[in-house]
Parts: sequence; C-alpha cells; structure tokens
Amino acid sequence: MTQLTACPKCSAPVGADEQYCEACGAELGQPTAAAAAPAQTPGNETPIQSAPVTSGHDATCHECGGSVAADGYCSECGVKARSLRDHFTERPATWVAGVCDRGIRHSRNEDAMALDARAEPSSHAVLVVCDGVSSSTDSDVASLAAARAARDVLARSSASGIGTAGARVAVSVKALEAAVEAANDAVIANTAAGSGSPASCTFVAGVLDASLLVVACVGDSRAYWFPDAGEPRMLTTDDSFAAEQIASGVSRAEAENGPQAHAITKWLGSDAPDHTPSTTTLDLDSPGWVLLCSDGLWNYCSEAKDLAALVHQMDHAATPDPLGLAGSLVDWANTQGGVDNITVTLARIGPRPDITTPPVAATAATPAVHSGTEHREEGPHDGNVLS
Amino acid sequence: MATFSAEVYQNEFLPDGGSDVHAIVTVTCAGAGEAGSSGSGDAAEIVIVDTSGSMGKDKILAVQQAAAAALDQVLDGVWFAVIAGNHEARLAFPGEAELGMVRMDAQTRAAAKYAIGDFEPKGGTAMGTWLRLATQVFATVPGLAQKHAILLTDGINQHETPEQLTAAIEGARGQFQCDCRGVGSDWQVAEVRRIATTLLGSVDLIAAADQMAADFEQIMRQSMGRGVAEAWLRVWAPQGAQVLFVRQVSPTVDDLTARRTEVNALTSAYPTGSWGDEARDYHVAIRLPAKAVGQEQLAARVQLAIGPEVVAQGLVKAMWSSDDTLTTRIDPAVAHYTGQAELAEAIQEGLAAKASGDTDTATTKLGRAVQLAAETGNEEATTRLRKIVDIDDAGTGTVRLRRAVDKLDEMALDTASTKTTRVKK
Repeated sequence: MTQLTACPKCSAPVGADEQYCEACGAELGQPTAAAAAPAQTPGNETPIQSAPVTSGHDATCHECGGSVAADGYCSECGVKARSLRDHFTERPATWVAGVCDRGIRHSRNEDAMALDARAEPSSHAVLVVCDGVSSSTDSDVASLAAARAARDVLARSSASGIGTAGARVAVSVKALEAAVEAANDAVIANTAAGSGSPASCTFVAGVLDASLLVVACVGDSRAYWFPDAGEPRMLTTDDSFAAEQIASGVSRAEAENGPQAHAITKWLGSDAPDHTPSTTTLDLDSPGWVLLCSDGLWNYCSEAKDLAALVHQMDHAATPDPLGLAGSLVDWANTQGGVDNITVTLARIGPRPDITTPPVAATAATPAVHSGTEHREEGPHDGNVLS
Repeated sequence: MATFSAEVYQNEFLPDGGSDVHAIVTVTCAGAGEAGSSGSGDAAEIVIVDTSGSMGKDKILAVQQAAAAALDQVLDGVWFAVIAGNHEARLAFPGEAELGMVRMDAQTRAAAKYAIGDFEPKGGTAMGTWLRLATQVFATVPGLAQKHAILLTDGINQHETPEQLTAAIEGARGQFQCDCRGVGSDWQVAEVRRIATTLLGSVDLIAAADQMAADFEQIMRQSMGRGVAEAWLRVWAPQGAQVLFVRQVSPTVDDLTARRTEVNALTSAYPTGSWGDEARDYHVAIRLPAKAVGQEQLAARVQLAIGPEVVAQGLVKAMWSSDDTLTTRIDPAVAHYTGQAELAEAIQEGLAAKASGDTDTATTKLGRAVQLAAETGNEEATTRLRKIVDIDDAGTGTVRLRRAVDKLDEMALDTASTKTTRVKK
C-alpha cells in the first residue's frame, strides 16, 4: 500500500494521514467520489489504491452532478446517490484493476472483489471475485468479507523462488484451498444466527506468480485467459445446473438460457453442502489479459471467443489500462440491460502489441462483438514473462 | 424544547411508466411547552364575540360566561384583548380610549371580566369589521410571535358585502390564527369556514348557548398549550417534478396547495400555524418523469421548518418495478385519507345541492358520502349522515333524503365534514 495519494480535488500529492490538502485546502477525511471511484482514464494519473472505501455514498450525483444531501439523495434531481458499495474500483498496480458495479436492475450490489498486486508488471497478482447470492439477507456484506479474506490469504503466499514448476503449482493450489476456507468462514461470520436464508456467495480466485496462473472456482463466477494472439480460453467450469446440462450434450446457448440457468450447485456459506474448489493451472507464455468476472458480465457474452473479441475490441488504449478496460466492459454489460451485478477484474500480462488499426468505440450500438479480432495485427510473441 | 418527528407511509413502487407518487406524512410534536415560552416572542389572544341584537339576553349572558371562561385559561403574561362585534367593532377591553393590549395578570383579568359585564345585544353583523379591528389591535404590540383569536357569531354577515369580508380576511391572513364558532342555526357554515380556513383555525357549531363556556375554555386551553409559535410545512420535489397537491388530512382535511410560498426553485412552504403536543397527517402527491424499471429516486422531502431551521424530515421515494405484486398495492394510509378527503367533499357538495333545491345531486353526493363513511370506518360521519338521509344500502350508497331535517343536524354534519378519523396503523 502506498503512503502517498492524490488530493481528490486538485490532484496534488498528499500524505495518507493528512486531513486537508496543502495545495487547495480540500478536506481529505471524507473520501469523495473521485477518490473512491477514480475516473476511468488511461495512464498513470489514476491513483494506485488497494483498499477502496465501500461504505457511504458519492458526494456528487452521478446523474446530474448536483450535490448529494445528507439523506443520501441528490439535492437537485432526487436520484439516489450511488453508494460506494454499489460501485467501486480497485487498482493495486498499474497492470491489475477491477470494477464492481450494482448494474441496473438490482437494488444493491452483492458482487464483491478484492485485488492485490506487486508494482512490477506481470510479477505477482491476486484476483478474487465473489458473487453474493441474492434472496439471502446479508450477501452483500458476506461476499465482500469473503473476497477480502481470500485476498489476504493469497497475498501472503508466494511460490516464486521455489524450485520446480510442480512444487510451485502445489503451493498455489494449497494457498487457494486455504483462501476458500477463509472466505467460507467470512461468509458464515457475516450470517445472522438462525437466518432462514443464510448469506452465500460464489468464489473465483486467480493467483499469478510470474507466468504461472492457478485458478480456483466454486459456483459460476469465471476466469478467462485472452492472449493477444492465439486461442482464448475459459479456465473454469461452472458449478451449475447449466454446466451439467452442457456436459450432458446440451448446447451452451440453450443451457445458459434455460429456466434453471442460474441455479448453482456449489457455493460458500453455512448451508453449502460442499465448497471444495476446482482448480486449473496455466502457464501464460504470451502477452494477454487474465479476466475474472461474475455472471453479470458473461450473461451477455459467455463463449471465450466472444468475450475475447469484446475485450480486444475495447482494448485500444495506448498503454494497457486494466481499469479503463474493466470499466468499459462493465458499461457494456449495463448497456445490454445490467440485469445482474457486474464485476470485472483484469491483469495485464506482458507488454501490449503494436496496434495499427484505429480503435473501435465500444458502445451499445456496436453491431457485433466478434468483429474486433480479424482486423488486429498479431503482436510479437515476446511476452513470455518467464524469460 | 419541542421535538418534531416525521414518518412516511407510502407504496414507493411504481409500475413501468408510472409517474404519480402519493404519501402520507405524519408530523408529531412533543415537548411543545406553553404558549409564549419558545423564546421567539410573546403570545397574544383576542376574544371576539358577537353582541348583535339577535343574540338576545340569554345568549349575551352565555357569551359573557364563555368569554370569562376563556380569559381564565389565558396564562399570566400573555397579551390579550376583548372585542365586541355587531355591525361595527368595539374594543371592549382594554377599552376604546386607545387601541392596545395588556398582559394578563389577576388585576387585568378581573378588569376584563368587569368590562364584559357591559355587553348589550344590539345592532347587526359585520364580521369583517371585527377582523380588521383585531388585526389592528394585534399590531399595537411589537414583536409578538404567536397571535390567536376566538371568534363567535350567531348570524349571517348582513351589514357588509362579501367583498368587504373577503378583504378583511385577506388583511388578517398570516397576521393571526382564528378559531371560529357559530351558535344556534342562523349563521352560515360556508361563510365562517372561509374565515377559519384562511386564518388556520377550526370551525364548529355550538348548538345551544349553554355549551359555549365549555367550548371556549377548551379552545383557549388548547391555544395555551401551543408552545411552538409558528411552523411551516416544506415540500421539496426534484427538478422536473410537479407537486400535484399538499393536503392536511388529520385531524381535519385542509387543502394547503394554494397557500404555497416559494423557498427556492425546488422547495415550497405552506403555513401550518402554531403547534402543541400533537400529530398532524399530510397527504402529498408528486408527479415525476417516469424512469426505467429498477431505478430509485426521491420524490419529495417533506419537512417541518421553524423559521429557517428544518426540524423534521420525511423522505418520499419512488422505485420503478416490474413486479405487479409490489406496484399494485395501495398504501392503507393513503387509501384511508383519500377516502376521507372525498367524504368531506361529498358531504359539503351534497348539503350545498340540498340547500339549492337540487335533490338529485344532493341524493347522489350524500349517498356517496354514506358509502365512503362506511368504507373508511368513520362512524361519527355515518351517525351524522343518518339524521339527513335514510340509508337503504351503505355499500352501494343508496339513500333517500329525509323530509323533516333539523337545521342544526345539517350544520353539525357540515362543520364536522372535515374532521377525519385516524387510520389504524
């Protein structure tokens, strides 16, 4: 965690403990919307932050820019101020970031995420996404506690320096299993005693240690690998009724749109029969994006190749900008309807290839999400972080 | 120190495309203290009584007793005066030599009672002159925070034009509050109601002269229990919204919409007069531009303000939903008071039609009133309506006008029409 941050008003550097900005006199005690949800601009102006504030609400209205009254509603247009829990971002390093958003249709954000990364690109990163199961009372609190508990376990463990690849995988898998237990304990700790509908959530976490990515999953939140060139991959298999149908031969499109599409067969929480994670290991030997997300994103773009196309289409910043890209993907999901909470976390692996085609704006009006890749020049395969 | 609280009763869920939000806001005041104790300024009372020829010896005697009973309730230190009215107005106490008021103490109370003893029934009725004199008398004491009057009449305003009365009422608006009473059956409810509603007071019938003293005593005791001199109901509505109406619905129905003054572009204020330890319910209706399903916003901030300070606030919300089980529900408080307001209107319109000889309209309106009184469980209204109509079927509102109706029963129904029953919460 860095000691220096930027003043939310004038961007002058300020100490973490200071109450007022030396440059402009702005009060720093109450984080403003700008501080908690940095503008999704590319580059390094955005402050690095790993402990977002997720209680309270925006100081200015996200719809009309009016000031938000103490009662939590805009003093001009009356719109409910976006709660900091409803929309928050994390950016522990320039190459790792995530956006967690309420979406449009749900009244609160039960998704959660927690990230950790070392400053050096492609060195060590932890991504955790938990999707609180609605209909249970405290899922928004429980999912955030779970994600943070898991992140804290994983941030402490590192397999680098350990000899064989097999041993390093074993260390990460063990850490992930411990993280699942910590997350499960956190969910139970945030469940009211005797709750008729105990809090519960899904779990997906990725540990990146140099080029080694190990992913663990419980439920239907997902991890993907989108190399700049080459075959995009979905790294997790949902613990869901839809996945069971797919395994038995039903098409993905049909299974994921069926009446039971969102019924999950595994979850974390006091009423979970089994929360053993399934793990996947991958050696990332080329530049690309690791993406972990909740179903609020993949509902609109499930197949790895479709989601990869969308990512590549939106990834047009001069410098890889995981926060901007995650924000674009969340915005896109909202324009598709935003029926569920949306969480997108990203880690950029390796330098980006040269882009010779002009960027394509990502909007709801974009006719097809498959169109991006054909026009891209494949970048050089120089992103192997093991070298 | 008075404390205020506000509670909101509403169904915040609107269907897709829905725009109208209704809410009942209950404002409760506790610890109001005594009149004149708020520190904002002194309290003052004027007793205005009819001494026209029609009062006769018996009613004059009753008025003298009632005025004395009222003065007994006025707290020591409160400024007061007594006005005797007929076709002109006379400052009976402290006396006509010079317009003014005095503070209540044992000596001034005794002197005032002595002055009341001089009342003689003579002359006509011009209530506008009474109100004008009261306005002038209140103005003689600078810095009064709370000004209240009781007005008693027994007849129709014969000795001035309706326009003159209107001008006098408008001159008194915002200057003082006035509870109005009519004794016997020779006065006009609508005329006196006009004075009472503009001056934020009550109107009621005193059927027999011997009930007057108890009524005056009760009015004055209530006024002395109003330690909060003046408060305003404020309604904030978002940009682009329209305030459809603001209505007090308990303890009486009183439409405040037209009494709006602007605080700022988004906030209106409505005078509510002085407050004691009591609860009042307000029905606020707001029209919003419809938003997408899933969106939430504030439809109104309903506040009570004393001077510039907001002392209580209730939030009226709007949430658009596609769930019919949520959006089709009508809040019981909103439904109850919507019915009660319509009941008051139906009674007043029915009686007006009956008075003008329009039997069909009277039967329809009073039938609807019977139906609404039954639906909203207003048994007092049902009892009063039974004296005017024979009820064949309360459920369908089928009634017949009774042939022989006591005028006093009709007036009692009219004056009580705005009184509402509280919703069972």
